[in-house]
Amino acid sequence: MNATNTSGTARIITHVKETDPMEPEVPFAEVEAVQSKEYIPVIKETLTGMIQRGLDAATKPVFNWAGRNSLFPLHWGLACCAIEFAAGFGARWDGERFGVVPRSSPRQCDLLIVNGTVTWKLSHKLITLWEQMPEPKWAIAMGNCATGGGPFRTAYSVVPGVNKLIPVDVYIAGCPPRPEAMLDGILRLERLIRERRA
Amino acid sequence: MTDLTLAALLPALESRFGPDVKVLPSRKEVLGVVQVKVDRLVEVARFLHDQGTFTHCALVSGVDWIEHIEVLYHLWSDALKGYLEITVETAPEDPHVPSVTSIWRGANWHERETWDMLGVRFDGHPDLRRVLMPEGYRFHPLRKSFELHEPEELEVKARHV
Ligand code: SF4
Repeated sequence: MNATNTSGTARIITHVKETDPMEPEVPFAEVEAVQSKEYIPVIKETLTGMIQRGLDAATKPVFNWAGRNSLFPLHWGLACCAIEFAAGFGARWDGERFGVVPRSSPRQCDLLIVNGTVTWKLSHKLITLWEQMPEPKWAIAMGNCATGGGPFRTAYSVVPGVNKLIPVDVYIAGCPPRPEAMLDGILRLERLIRERRA
Repeated sequence: MTDLTLAALLPALESRFGPDVKVLPSRKEVLGVVQVKVDRLVEVARFLHDQGTFTHCALVSGVDWIEHIEVLYHLWSDALKGYLEITVETAPEDPHVPSVTSIWRGANWHERETWDMLGVRFDGHPDLRRVLMPEGYRFHPLRKSFELHEPEELEVKARHV
């Protein structure tokens, strides 16, 4: 089939299939596939898929165990709840005995504890930090502000609940929640991970 | 002209700018309250800065009186050890006030905040962006016409612009 464009050069469209409406197309395609050995990659894919699934089944419990026992939260203090967050990793409550070590870079973290009031101006930064964290990752909304806006729920500048921005696994109530409550939330998240529910 | 003392300052303002300035009754926290017509604001500010020793613009803010919007300037004088309050009035729909950033550089962010909260446009401002609210936020929340929205409604409006 030939077509001529405005500059005068002919544009030739090849590979036009002459189709006979009476004849079904499928048998030809199958024959072509067998002749061109197109089935080889399909078999390869199936085999690698089986191996991958087997490996996954063997290693997933190990990664799950390692991940849930070393949750690294992002060291990110937003408001008054951050004081309780800090106290929770001090000498008295010592969150590190659960393998929870705050890190300063989102690249090293798998847990985002949103501990304070999130304003609309900050929401873009929160999403950026969340997206910078490698998978698998979890989020905890700590305190009433992060859970649902808290005392500032009807304010013009405050996000009414951080679940409007990121997926949250565990909510901790309180204004502010005590460090025990925060550690309890982290342990709850560990249980959710163990049961593969988060 | 030498620096004016307080006793001479307000009469000097009145004699120089005539009916465009109005000395209002003062309060004990400030040296004086002066109401200025919008189009003479920069001249008055320049006069107060150069001859009135008011070298520091401590605050720019505003009040929405519904019939008009009032923009307030608090100027500090080291020599007089006190504040002078200047007010200008603008129309509530599309309020425009000349910027005083050419006289006090420190007024920059104050004017941005007044624009953010009250929607007063400062003509001649070098960088009139929002300060407290994200760029793209549609409201000026300290206006009396701003209704406190249900959070969900506000969220939808604020996120998709
Ligand atoms: S929940 Fe209460 S303590 Fe926590 S950030 Fe909000 S206001 Fe502060």
